[in-house]
Parts: sequence; C-alpha cells; structure tokens
Amino acid sequence: MNDHPRLTAVFARLSFGRTSGKKPARKATDNPKWEKRLQKELMAIMKDPPDGITVSQDTLEGSDLSQICVNMTGPSGTLYEGEAFMLRFKFGPKYPFDSPEVVFTGENIPVHPHIYSNGHICLSILTEDWSPAMSVQSVCLSIASMLSSCKEKKRPPDNSFYVKTCHKNPKKTRWWYHDEDV
Amino acid sequence: MSSESPPPAASGDNQDELILAQKEAIAQDIASNASLVGNLEPVYSLEREFSHDAVFMTKIGNLKGRYAELRRTRPDGNCFFRAVAYRYFELLLHRPDEYERIKALLPRAKAQMIELGMPTFTLEDFYDNFMDHVDRVGQAHMDAQQLFETFNEPGQSDYLVVFLRLLTSMQLQRNAEFYQNFMEGDKTVAEFCATEVEPMYNESDHIHITALTEATGISLRVIYLDRGSQTEASLHDFPDQGESAATTPLVHLLYRPGHYDVIYPVKSTSESGPATSNATVTTTAELSS
Repeated sequence: MNDHPRLTAVFARLSFGRTSGKKPARKATDNPKWEKRLQKELMAIMKDPPDGITVSQDTLEGSDLSQICVNMTGPSGTLYEGEAFMLRFKFGPKYPFDSPEVVFTGENIPVHPHIYSNGHICLSILTEDWSPAMSVQSVCLSIASMLSSCKEKKRPPDNSFYVKTCHKNPKKTRWWYHDEDV
Repeated sequence: MSSESPPPAASGDNQDELILAQKEAIAQDIASNASLVGNLEPVYSLEREFSHDAVFMTKIGNLKGRYAELRRTRPDGNCFFRAVAYRYFELLLHRPDEYERIKALLPRAKAQMIELGMPTFTLEDFYDNFMDHVDRVGQAHMDAQQLFETFNEPGQSDYLVVFLRLLTSMQLQRNAEFYQNFMEGDKTVAEFCATEVEPMYNESDHIHITALTEATGISLRVIYLDRGSQTEASLHDFPDQGESAATTPLVHLLYRPGHYDVIYPVKSTSESGPATSNATVTTTAELSS
C-alpha cells in the first residue's frame, strides 16, 4: 500500500500525528484502532479518487486525523455543476462504529432543501442509519447523489429557526428524516 | 476539538442535546456495569434476578436440568451478534471440522457480498479481521483466555460484530423476495438492512437470526424465558427442524425480553471438547408441551 513515494510521505505525516497529539483518557466504548482505519480510508481516496472528490491540501499537510476536509465539485449535469464545495469531517474515538460529524464549510454552502445555511446536512446515514461499512468515500458519494437529485435550489423551510437554535455539532440534533425523495 | 462543550445556557431552545446527552450517559453507564462478554456463571444465578416472579422462577427451575452455565453479554443492542460470535469462536477452539467448514464458506460469502454492491474497501477490512480470528482460533494460536480478552476489547469485539451484521444483511438482500413477506409497511428489504441490520446497536429479531444462521450454517437454539403461561421456557431452533430435532444445535442462547446471553447445555461447556452432541437433549415436542 505504501508503494507510491508521495503517498508514503503523506502517510508518514498522518501516522506521525498519532503520537504527537495528546490523548484523552479512553472510555470503555472507544475503538482504539479508529485512526488506523481512517488512514487506510484516506490512502484509498488519494490513490483512487472518486469523481469530483479530493482530500484538501490542508488535510494532507496537517497531522491531525480527528478532522479532515474534502473538496467536492458539483456533479456535472446537475443544478450544482461547476460549483466548488468543502466538506469537513470530524471523527471521534468510536469511529467507525459511530458516524463522523459531517458539515459543509467554507464560503459556498450548497443551496439545497436538506442543507442548512450553516452547513448542517439532514441525511440519515450521518446519524441513526450510519453503518460501520460506510466510509468517508461513501458519505461523499451519498452527498453528491443528494445534490444530483435536487430539482430546485432552496433552503429547508425551517432554515432560519434551526440555524439560530442548533448546536454547532449537527450530531447533537435529533433529525427527522421526512422527505426521502429530494 | 471543542464540539463536546455542554449545552448552551439557552438550553430551553434545544431539548435535542439534553436527550442525546442522556442517551450517551445511559450507554456509558451500561458499558461500565456490564462487560461486553462476562464470565461463566451457574444458570441458577438467574434466580436472584427473578426471585419475585413465580412464572420465571418455575421456568428457570426447569432449565437447570438441561443447562448448566450462562455467560452474559452487554445489553447494547449488539448482544445477539456478540453472543453468537463468542460462542462460535469458543467452539472453534475444539472443532477442526467446523473450522474447515467455515473457512471454506466465508470466502464465498464475501464474494456474494461484493456482488451485492457492498463497499469493497470497508467490507474487506471487516472480512480480513474476522478471517484472521477464525484462523487464530482454529489453528490454536489463540486460547480461551485470549478469546475472552479479545471479545472484551471494544474495537476488536465490535469489528467481529460488524462482520456478522454484514453477513446477515447479505443473506436478507440475496433472498429479498422471500424476506419481503416479513417486512412491515412498504419497507423494502434493502431499507430494512440499511436501518435495522447494518447499523450498530440495533436489536435483533427473529428475522436477523434466521438470516444469520442461513448465511453461516451455524445451527442455533434460542430458549425464550418470557412471560408465556407454560411452565417450560419455549425454544426455537434455527434452522427450524420441525419435530425431528435430529441434531443438537451448536450454539445455545437464552433470550429474555430484549436481550440474548450465551447458555451452555449440561456437560458441554467450552472445555468439554467436541462431544457437544452428547449433552442432555430434550426434543422440541417434549419442551413445548
């Protein structure tokens, strides 16, 4: 897996981050191997990036695996064609048994009926329907597919109320997944 | 990362956080009070919990003749999968025939999972890990104590659970036409798998058990200790052998409403070697009378 020289360098940097950060005390439900799994995921994306998805430069240059950013280009033939977005993933020590926290970040938040203007995404796989068989890559693809199937660019109806009252971590919202068709 | 800060002062605006914080506190509480997999205890230890309950006490009394010991699992929604996995790996320590059988079966199962479109990258991770443990146990590179420790290490234990969840999902989806008959409302089998089978911490039902035993060929008996009016705990064999009950199931589980533990027939604890078939067996007909 470490045969590509540039990837090897990146991998070394990512691995180095494991020992440099201070570690909080482990809880009984934590997965001690979450960083290893995440390294493998990132390596796979870098080697064989899906359409329109790249790991951000900051992530590649940084050493902190608990937070990574992914660039996403609006899929062609959709309302978002050519737009550039950024997704931020935060991982906890129960990954991949618990879902990552995923939000849109940066200047351009997609205008979409399931995406709030603060970047929070209403998507069931990000909370209760998360499965450990999913990955950064499959989350990106699900979000891209959510964008692709959108017929009208608009914010969720409760956008202004939600954005004012929500926690900054969308996983602290108990989502109601009502409208599966959009 | 500062996202784990306490709810803001205006918490009246956001009940969600309080509810989720409470759920997390409950999960931590369960985790600190119950091992993922517990030590062996005598079946009569159940009597302490149900001493106030005549129906349960009668049924436990009748169980004692056939079952000697019990091994509790953590009630975290994964108990069925964890209990089956633990007991099965424990059997593999002494059953070269089972080891050969499962070693031949799993690669085929993996191919079927990939064929269904399960994400190869993560699937392989879980598969490799599971296979590695099957090999270690089957080739005596791991003993009963190491197995016990492995199953009590959260990351590792859950990795094994995930693979069984994926196997179950595969079996349901490959036979979607049949299993569609058991779906509630207009839920498809694929949706059921995505919401009730693959995600962790979702409790298992009859349908999960049927699919997992079909997918793995692991025969299973569940003893139901519930509020039914009979004096014997009812039982169900997977796969269903009808009245014949020709062979003794490999794995025995005790079900109490909402939870599964491992239960060991008299004279067939983990140390008794391959002779599980000599355990005291009661046929379906006798038990359900």
